[in-house]
Amino acid sequence: MGDGAEIVDMSDREEKKKLAEDRISDEEVEKNELVRSDEVRDNEEEVFEEAIGSQEVPKLESFEADGLHEDLPLETTPGNSKDAHEVGDQEEKSEVNVQDIITMGEAESDFVTPRMNDDQGEAGADISFGKTESSLDVAENIEKATSSGFGLAAEDVSMENGNTHSFSENGVVFPEDKELVAEVISMSPWSEETGNDGIEDKNWEENVDVSAGMGTEQEVGQGEVTNENCFEKGFVCIDNESGAQRNGVDYNSVQNASGDKSLNDSIEVARSGTSSPLEKSSSEEKGETEGHGSSGSPGVTFREHETVQKSNGGHDVQHNSQSNKELEQQQDSRVNIGPEIKESQHVEREYDVLSSVSPTESTSNTAASPPTRPAGLGRAAPLLEPAPRVPQQPRVNGNVSHNQPQQAEDSTTAETDEHDETREKLQLIRVKFLRLTHRLGQTPHNVVVAQVLYRLGLAEQLRGRNGSRVGAFSFDRASAMAEQLEAGGQDPLDFSCTIMVLGKSGVGKSATINSIFDEVKISTDAFQMGTKRVQGVEGFVQGIKVRVIDTPGLLPSWSDQHKNEKILKSARAFIKKNPPDIVLYLDRLDMQSRDSGDMPLLRTITDVFGPSIWFNAIVGLTHAASAPPDGPSGTASSYDMFVTQRSHVIQQAIRQAAGDRRLMNPVSLVENHSACRTNRAGQRVLPNGQVWKPHLLLLSFASKILAEANALLKLQDNIPGGQFVARSKALPLPFLLSSLLQSRPQAKLPEQQYDGEEDEDDLDDSSDSDEEAEYDQLPPFKRLTKAEMAKLSKSQKKQYLDEMEYREKLFMKRQMKEERKRRKLLKKFAAEIKNLPNGYSENVEEERSEPPSVPVPMPDLSLPASFDSDNPTHRYRYLDSSNQWLVRPVLETNGWDHDIGYEGVNAERLFVVKDKIPISFSGQVTKDKKDANVQLEMASSVKHGEGRSTSLGLDMQNVGKELAYTIRSETKFNNFKKNKAAAGLSVTLMGDSVSAGLKVEDKLIANKWFRMVMSGGAMTSRGDVAYGGSLEAQFRDKDYPLGRFLSTLGLSVMDWHGDLAIGGNIQSQVPIGRSSNLIARANLNNKGAGQVSIRVNSSEQLQLAMVSLVPLFKKLLSYYSLQQM
Amino acid sequence: MAALQMSREWIGIQQFPPATQSKLLEILGKYKEEDVSSLTVLVMGKGGVGKSSTVNSVIGEKAAAVSTFQSEGLRPTFVSRSRSGFTLNIIDTPGLIEGGYVNDQAINLIKKFLLNTTIDVLLYVDRLDVYRVDDLDRQVISAITDAFGKEIWKKSALVLSHAQFSPPDGLNYDLFVTRRSDALLKVIRTGAQLKKHDMQGSSIPVILVENSGRCHKNESDEKILPDGTSWIPNLVKTITEISFNGNKAIHVDKKLVDGPNPNERGKRLIPLILAFQYLLIMKPLVRSIKSDVSRESKPAWELRDSGLASRRS
Repeated sequence: MGDGAEIVDMSDREEKKKLAEDRISDEEVEKNELVRSDEVRDNEEEVFEEAIGSQEVPKLESFEADGLHEDLPLETTPGNSKDAHEVGDQEEKSEVNVQDIITMGEAESDFVTPRMNDDQGEAGADISFGKTESSLDVAENIEKATSSGFGLAAEDVSMENGNTHSFSENGVVFPEDKELVAEVISMSPWSEETGNDGIEDKNWEENVDVSAGMGTEQEVGQGEVTNENCFEKGFVCIDNESGAQRNGVDYNSVQNASGDKSLNDSIEVARSGTSSPLEKSSSEEKGETEGHGSSGSPGVTFREHETVQKSNGGHDVQHNSQSNKELEQQQDSRVNIGPEIKESQHVEREYDVLSSVSPTESTSNTAASPPTRPAGLGRAAPLLEPAPRVPQQPRVNGNVSHNQPQQAEDSTTAETDEHDETREKLQLIRVKFLRLTHRLGQTPHNVVVAQVLYRLGLAEQLRGRNGSRVGAFSFDRASAMAEQLEAGGQDPLDFSCTIMVLGKSGVGKSATINSIFDEVKISTDAFQMGTKRVQGVEGFVQGIKVRVIDTPGLLPSWSDQHKNEKILKSARAFIKKNPPDIVLYLDRLDMQSRDSGDMPLLRTITDVFGPSIWFNAIVGLTHAASAPPDGPSGTASSYDMFVTQRSHVIQQAIRQAAGDRRLMNPVSLVENHSACRTNRAGQRVLPNGQVWKPHLLLLSFASKILAEANALLKLQDNIPGGQFVARSKALPLPFLLSSLLQSRPQAKLPEQQYDGEEDEDDLDDSSDSDEEAEYDQLPPFKRLTKAEMAKLSKSQKKQYLDEMEYREKLFMKRQMKEERKRRKLLKKFAAEIKNLPNGYSENVEEERSEPPSVPVPMPDLSLPASFDSDNPTHRYRYLDSSNQWLVRPVLETNGWDHDIGYEGVNAERLFVVKDKIPISFSGQVTKDKKDANVQLEMASSVKHGEGRSTSLGLDMQNVGKELAYTIRSETKFNNFKKNKAAAGLSVTLMGDSVSAGLKVEDKLIANKWFRMVMSGGAMTSRGDVAYGGSLEAQFRDKDYPLGRFLSTLGLSVMDWHGDLAIGGNIQSQVPIGRSSNLIARANLNNKGAGQVSIRVNSSEQLQLAMVSLVPLFKKLLSYYSLQQM
Repeated sequence: MAALQMSREWIGIQQFPPATQSKLLEILGKYKEEDVSSLTVLVMGKGGVGKSSTVNSVIGEKAAAVSTFQSEGLRPTFVSRSRSGFTLNIIDTPGLIEGGYVNDQAINLIKKFLLNTTIDVLLYVDRLDVYRVDDLDRQVISAITDAFGKEIWKKSALVLSHAQFSPPDGLNYDLFVTRRSDALLKVIRTGAQLKKHDMQGSSIPVILVENSGRCHKNESDEKILPDGTSWIPNLVKTITEISFNGNKAIHVDKKLVDGPNPNERGKRLIPLILAFQYLLIMKPLVRSIKSDVSRESKPAWELRDSGLASRRS
């Protein structure tokens, strides 16, 4: 990282902090923010940054991230409607909500896709979401205005704490897609300089409550600050999106005034629609251009009032632009505001900088988020269309403003206090860190320092429940305070850092510790294990208390890993009382540990301490003064290159050992050799000019500081260690849902096993008795012998075959019918028997349930479609014994052992409890080299009442290393012949996560050849919901089992986080001729993937089979030709 | 294998400074006196200690590929250079450690590669600037011993690379070298299970080596060690001494490569075991069965059945 980068970082941080000070955020925003910060982190390549980042939320997987976003609309909407309830007219409100929801959906689906693609896309998506969100809020506001008879979304707040804040929102209309967007970002300034913190806070509080949208909008701003984020030192941004009006167009006006000072920056966040005029460099310009843009629309005239007041080097900006109609009133309002403006005293120079920076920012956003914008635009348009007009604006100023602020004040005072305290503490941490930095002789421009300060600011922002305002002053004040304290002498600092040192034997752990303290605390020996046991060493470095835990050296060989384990376990016991703030993993720079030689050792460390140990680890490379080895050309490679490569190797190894590829441990160089070069101050200097010790300590301290800040802000939950575990546990909801939606047959009593189809077949009982009779009436038919057949002419043959087919059909039909009748009779019989005295029935039962006493071969497993000599299916046959347990091997042809392929055992049994309740049990255990899988399923069903049955099931299966238990229950109602409904519930417990699901299923049997199954359900887990539905329709031949015509149409929909997955398939089987079938199948999903297959099979044309000889011959021929050669 | 390799002219020797060249030629002259036309040197050691670099340094050209961060493949490299009728063969081997284990596959490959060659000298390479010896060192040593027999250590030298180094804690350089080499020699002794009397008379010589381009040079431009000796001639000289130290060179033949054939073991015992089984197990068994049969009393129904059967047939 060059100096330039440092400076950029620096400025970023400042801006960021300012932003943070101005922050208004609520829970949702905070979450969103986390994501945001993460992305920010991703974009930064600085090593340390990465490492620190790893303490926060790791890069979220898309699901997770989605989840966070999902929360937003759900939770915000009700809040808004509450806001609006006083004034809202119900109809309109509901309309708003509906539209919001719709838009939300759009926006979401918009962003889901890019998210998959890359980070950039993700960022864009994020932004879009935030915007949509904010527009939602605004819509509510608008609504409020509408209900009180005003035409425009306008809201003003005046506060009564001595300072008057006037706060107005006006629609901005852009001629874009016939939908106009009103956008106001108004900032109410405040100033720390005056020292009246309390008042400011109140103001600020009130503003928060005035519009829930503020926070969100700021969030948007945040989101838009993609990489280098700088944002205006504005206060509140409100994003109004208002629709087009037939005749008139509103223009935005921003009017802000505060008692002490005022800064009115109107900053338009660049929109895709209006991007070109907006890409100007100052807010004033922007205001103008916007005005022009709007005036371009027909029938609209604008007047812009721009008052720019600059005083004391700062500037105040005011845009008042209205259409002619409202001119007078506008003037009124200006009058109102005027005095306030005059009161404003000065604006810091920074403001200048900031406001000039912000437009650039917004420009970059535009580039990032064009596709997402229209989703937000689309919504607002119809909403505002009928709205009258602006003239009432002054009234808005006068009236509405009073409503909410007061309430807000009450509710948030407590929080404010708490928050103030937090801020104060955070400020202390900041001061502390700056002091540490100072003592280590580093400037705030050091990359690491800058990063930490930036993170502190960010953390505060995230935390700020009701929005904290981190301004530039924070840093300035902190640094001033730090300097003051430091100047006053090295008075003790309330800070101590514990470092645990781990590493291979002989890399110089103890020597490093001695170097840190600049004295021999631990005796070292070049040839023997210097350290025999874990020990803590305490001391002061530049007046900073540092505690180091030295550990015995670890051994690299696999065979020594148990020794390592012992060492590490003792270390673990040692640190139990006093956990280290940072772990320093040492290795030699000049050892080219390739061949993954350190892997055993790293693995052991991970095993003993858990992967989370690496999240707080610094890699130290000792012997840093050694010369790099010769490069491939024989000349010496550059030192930096060498260090980079070596670091990379170790980082990679750690990543592998920790099983987390996001890890990026910061690297610090160490040189303990007494002959190491030193600078004038006696500090050891590396070949690249780095003074290593302060750097190492700074890294350690930074880590500690951030941990402290996290603890203070209660952000610990985001430490990734915990999250990994949690995330790996959760089963994807769609998976659970689809298993829930699956329709399962109910367990049946043994005697009912075979009459599954019966109920359905009842339908067509009556229909075809005539056909049956037909068969009997047919004249006797004599089959011809082969010789006779040969004699027949072609047409005769055809006739004969047709006739025969017809008869066969009829015959089979009759047989089936008879079978059915028999079963029915049996059933009736059984029912009658039950009524008879006992002895009788036993007899019958016995007779019936006589089990087959001789083991008979089970039907063969179906052979694979293609011939594969490796497939072991044909090798084995199984016997079906009389045992009640049905045990079968599990064949897995794609398993690791291709030759044998049997990897498990499957057992099934059907129990009958009290002759009534069947319980089926089936379990399967498979085991291969890597892992064992267990799958158990128990199901039972009870019939209660006529046509109602309830089944209960328990599934157990392992997912990864965890066992997932599912309890499901389903009740079927078949009160109607043609319609069967079922409803089910299921609960899945896996690890510590519980998912619950609900489904409804309906089976419609329209007639003999058409039936349809529809089902829908939802699954929820940890506030996360997935919806799904499926539809299956089947058309069959009139006489189904005989006629071969069959068509199925399936459709399934799954919605999770707005990620809609729709899949459909269609399959049709059409008989062609006597013995050929055509099977066509197609499927398609909404991701654009699909498959079409057409298959013809025939048992007639044997010669077709000869085609298969072609490849055979070809192969033989190729052998032949090979030999020739 | 070696015969197949075309031995190229040793051009690299001309790259050495004249002083080194003359020393080398003097040493090579000794071989001529002894009427030895070729010498085979095997270089082994852990990965990344500088085996290939050492080979390159001796040859004077980039014969073996050196890569700092990746391990070279598993195959050994055969480098052969001839100079006025004398051929120097150096076999560079890959690092023997893979992921904390000794790589048996690599050792097998080396063994196969060396089939039908005679190893005159083994150079075991390790770094000087490492402070500890650990179990891996011992494992490598025993792997080599297992592969070629412990006799090979009598024809071996310990090469310590990265010799240009200043010891830590203000230790004396010579003292450090002694302690480091002692530690390694001790490992070699234990790893190779050499008894004290095995080592009598011939202890394993230690050679210091510095392959870096930054190696100090003396006034005649020779690469020298911190103690002022020019190390390349020293290395070659030590190799020569070992080759003439009276111990037999290790010939890698089929037997050594394949190890003892398990099929051959105890073959002669087979007839004995058969006889033992026949006399002591089968005989009593058959006898007891026969006596059982004669003592058997048939139940009535069986007699009836057999009677029926005979009647029916």
